[in-house]
Amino acid sequence: MHNPLMKRVPRELLKEWPKYLVVIVFMTFMIGVVSGMYVGHDSMVAAIDSSKAAGNQEDGNFELEKKLTDTQIKEIETGDMADVRDFLLDKGYEEADKKVEEAAASELKKTVKQNIEDAVRAQCQALGVTDETAIQDAVEKAIGENYDAALTEAKKSDEYKKALDDAYEKAHKEVEDKVDEEWDDISEEYDLEDADFVSRPVTLHEHFFHNEEEDYNSDGRKDTTLRLYRSDSEVDKASFNEGRAPESEDEIAIDRMHAANVGVSLGDEITVGGRKFKVVGLLAYVNYMTLHEKNTDLMFDAFGFDVGMVTPEAFEKLPSALHYSYVFQYDKKPADDIEAADFSGDFMKALITRSAVYENDLKDYVPEYLNQAVNFAPSDIEGDTSATGILVYILIAVIAFIFAIMVSNTVEKESAVIGTLRASGYTRSELTRHYMSMPIIVTIIGAVLGNLVGYTLFKDIVVDLYYNSYSLPKYETVWSPSAMVKTTVIPLVLMFFINLFVIRSKLRLSPLKFLRHDLKKTRRQRAVRLPKWSFLARFRLRVVLQNIPDYLVLIFGVILIEVMLCFAFGFPDSLDHYAETAPKMLFTENQYILTDMKDDDGEIITTETPGAERFSSTTLVQQKQTDFSMRGTGGGLSEDITVYGYETNSRYIDMREEMPDGQVYISSAYAKKYGFGKGDRLSLSEKYEKKSYDFTVAGIYGYDGAVAAFMPQDNFNRIFDKDKGDFSGYFSDEKIEDIDNKYVATVITRQDITKVTDQLDHSMGGFMKVFQYVLFILAIVLIYLLTKIIIEKNESSISMAKILGFKNRELSAIYMLPTAVTVIIFTGVSFLIGYAIMAGLFKIFMLSMDGWFRFYISPRGAILSMLFMVAGYLVVSLADFRRIRKIPMDEALKNIE
Amino acid sequence: MAGESTSFLEIRNLKKSFGKGETRQEVLRGMDFSVAKGEFCVLLGPSGSGKSTLLNIIGGIDTPDEGYISINGDKLEEMDEKAITLYRRKHLGYVFQMYNLIPNLNVKENIEVGAYLSDNPLDVDEILDILGLADHRYKYPNQLSGGQQQRVSIGRAVVKNPDILMCDEPTGALDYKTSKEILALIENCNRKYGNTVVMVTHNEAIRRMADHVIRLRDGMVRQNERNIEKIPAAELEW
Repeated sequence: MHNPLMKRVPRELLKEWPKYLVVIVFMTFMIGVVSGMYVGHDSMVAAIDSSKAAGNQEDGNFELEKKLTDTQIKEIETGDMADVRDFLLDKGYEEADKKVEEAAASELKKTVKQNIEDAVRAQCQALGVTDETAIQDAVEKAIGENYDAALTEAKKSDEYKKALDDAYEKAHKEVEDKVDEEWDDISEEYDLEDADFVSRPVTLHEHFFHNEEEDYNSDGRKDTTLRLYRSDSEVDKASFNEGRAPESEDEIAIDRMHAANVGVSLGDEITVGGRKFKVVGLLAYVNYMTLHEKNTDLMFDAFGFDVGMVTPEAFEKLPSALHYSYVFQYDKKPADDIEAADFSGDFMKALITRSAVYENDLKDYVPEYLNQAVNFAPSDIEGDTSATGILVYILIAVIAFIFAIMVSNTVEKESAVIGTLRASGYTRSELTRHYMSMPIIVTIIGAVLGNLVGYTLFKDIVVDLYYNSYSLPKYETVWSPSAMVKTTVIPLVLMFFINLFVIRSKLRLSPLKFLRHDLKKTRRQRAVRLPKWSFLARFRLRVVLQNIPDYLVLIFGVILIEVMLCFAFGFPDSLDHYAETAPKMLFTENQYILTDMKDDDGEIITTETPGAERFSSTTLVQQKQTDFSMRGTGGGLSEDITVYGYETNSRYIDMREEMPDGQVYISSAYAKKYGFGKGDRLSLSEKYEKKSYDFTVAGIYGYDGAVAAFMPQDNFNRIFDKDKGDFSGYFSDEKIEDIDNKYVATVITRQDITKVTDQLDHSMGGFMKVFQYVLFILAIVLIYLLTKIIIEKNESSISMAKILGFKNRELSAIYMLPTAVTVIIFTGVSFLIGYAIMAGLFKIFMLSMDGWFRFYISPRGAILSMLFMVAGYLVVSLADFRRIRKIPMDEALKNIE
Repeated sequence: MAGESTSFLEIRNLKKSFGKGETRQEVLRGMDFSVAKGEFCVLLGPSGSGKSTLLNIIGGIDTPDEGYISINGDKLEEMDEKAITLYRRKHLGYVFQMYNLIPNLNVKENIEVGAYLSDNPLDVDEILDILGLADHRYKYPNQLSGGQQQRVSIGRAVVKNPDILMCDEPTGALDYKTSKEILALIENCNRKYGNTVVMVTHNEAIRRMADHVIRLRDGMVRQNERNIEKIPAAELEW
């Protein structure tokens, strides 16, 4: 026989349908969102994985100053280190030999001539010739006649040979000493004598590119930097979301995401590097899922940066400097990221030695596992998915507590029945199972419906959200068993254990206590004495005291939601605030960084642009504290710091103070991010070398646009071993027109400073709006459920009070005002908590990323975030008022037993 | 004193007190009596005489401070909580002054709640007929009068076919006529199914329908006698 108590469950569901409907809809929605996120995530990860194989993705890339020869390519492919010491020795010997040879030759010439002269003079003296002119003539003549023979003779002499050998030996010894010293430095710098070094053979591919100016609306102004590759590349291939690869010289294919952002469609004409191209394809490069121009960029920029391809013929004709970028693929693939780090470390060492030996500067090195453009999107999706997952679990836990409270109230209400059932022989477990069944059934319904909408509706919403931000390949929905577990098992487990805990402890009392309605675990305490307030005030306080657990859950819920509201309003505000303030602080409109300070003819590159001023800059690395570094958020363990050297009396960097070597000013962003102040020590290191520099902070320079350090140019050149007067580029408020594009490596403009926030706003802004309204609804649901519990629990008291003559309005004031006060007070308190949490979280988040901006919420945002919560309460209070009004007077009499 | 030779339920030196120190109140002060199998036994006494406490201890939902109870030779004090629950489940039926029915189960289902607990339950439909509830079987408790609800609660207790039917003031909340009907039903069940009935009441008249009457006062047994001139419940007057 089935337990007849189970028949109650469907009836209870039907009777209390509004309450359970709210819970089920809420759970369906929450579980649906997580399910959609997981399914979308798994489907996209599958698509990305298959596109990596199809696109023949790199294991890493590097850029050199010059093109490699075929032999050099073969040598690098072995993965072996070049013998830098040998190279330095050879180079040193060669130079030394040449010097010795030259010195010896001139010395010998001198000696031979002297010997001839001495012989002639001796002869003249013997013959009595004293006329100096005659002697000179005789000497000249003798040299003319005998020099060659004498020289040859002298060269053969043992004496000369010995002297020469000695000279060589001495010179070589000097070279060896010098090289040893130099080698010690270099090997230490690059850790070249690493005993664990293993050769990692690779296959290299040329993957040259041009960074061209793109003008997508043909208004004659540069809109975007477009990185162009050849359409016949065999590695890092693109998949086409629309259209095809270019086939003629005037055709081009560009990134789909960028095209969508700036409104370019197939068939449109765009100007690239001054030439017009027809867009024939919209693509997604396997190594550009996010449009990161540089690997160190805080955020990708699908507006200001673009990638694309042209035919090899068109590629040859592109005007800007060619970047000698090479792609490598390991012959034996690393198994995971940890192994990839080992592989990359070894390969980079080998590469550094090669670049030294080839005298070809390594300008950039990015292994695939650290490549933001490849890893940002998957890890962002991963991060979003787990963050949403955790959020949903917290909300389900809250719902579970609400359920537990509802069940506790039912247990109290049914106390006599439970006593009778226990007295009749029903076990505690049977009753626990019975009371557990409702929350479990509701959760199962929520999970099933949630997964249904997750797999259908929400998955598409989620996927669209990511397609709006990332250049992803096409995908197909995959069945995800892990998503099923996370969206069904975890909510059920949460619901099960929370309710089990509460219900079991509630049912622990003896049957007799249930029969007597004596459900206090401890002996009845004396009633709390209240201050001498008005009767109504004391009545209200009693209501609160009597419902403390309900109010605690309400407070927890209010805090949780308000913290999230603080984020939902503060995040867009922070972006706006940064976008508004950062450009105002820009010290120059444009920073032109040159490929070299001299042009092809060896002339220093100059400009006539008024106000243009030379500056120096280099990039050093600031190590981050590892405990703040969060994998998958885009940043690594270190951050690139731009170090500027400015001219004395610079018109751009307003610094009049004398600064000794070893001191720097740091930007306010730098100071805030790492908490540095005047007098603190900084230790910055070279990116690919072990060399590091120590600086003392001389002061803070008010500039929030970048994490940067400043020093006078002379100090800069001294510290970084440059010649006096060396520089890296020009600051200029006006556009510089008279420097050939091929000498310009990068231009940093106003857009570069705000592209972080532009992009974040684009990909998250819409989502935040939705999030705000979701939270509003959440606030309503939570407050509705809890106030319903409180009122239901007091139904017979309310009814009795009505019999006694209390008016509906008075009763509403008694039973609703405490909730209103609680909600309002804790909304305010939670806002402050939320603000503190968000400011802290933002700092941690920014520490894990490169760059800086702080959490900011505008007064309007702050008020709105609290208003949403209070408005949610107002909606519920209308329903509560109705509920109180509808409680009949006979309720008290009917339920008297 | 009644003969104890056929004792089914034995109560020996039972003591129980509540509270501590000055507020300590001795409710049972050493009770001794036995009830034979199949007997209709009435525990009679004014309020505060300890009759309900006694009934709760017999029912295993309260424990004595001293003394013991044995049912069919099994001592309750030697049982752990699980065993006592099992004992209640298999051997006891309870009827309270308040009916304590489950509001969202209908009449038949409320009786099934009792039947579910038993290994050899009686036929639910038969019980409905005997209790005169056949026509009301699909009604919910709030559609029934007090007397009807008490019938359902008797049905829920009897359907288990318990060895002992414990009744705590079963007519306490009912009017004269309905009370008599309820008493007749209990009597009928006792006769028909042979359950031992232990009924607590303060109503003097009810003793006349019992086989065995135990009077309690101040936590002591004042009188323990067999009723020789037992009359049917229908003939009771008060």
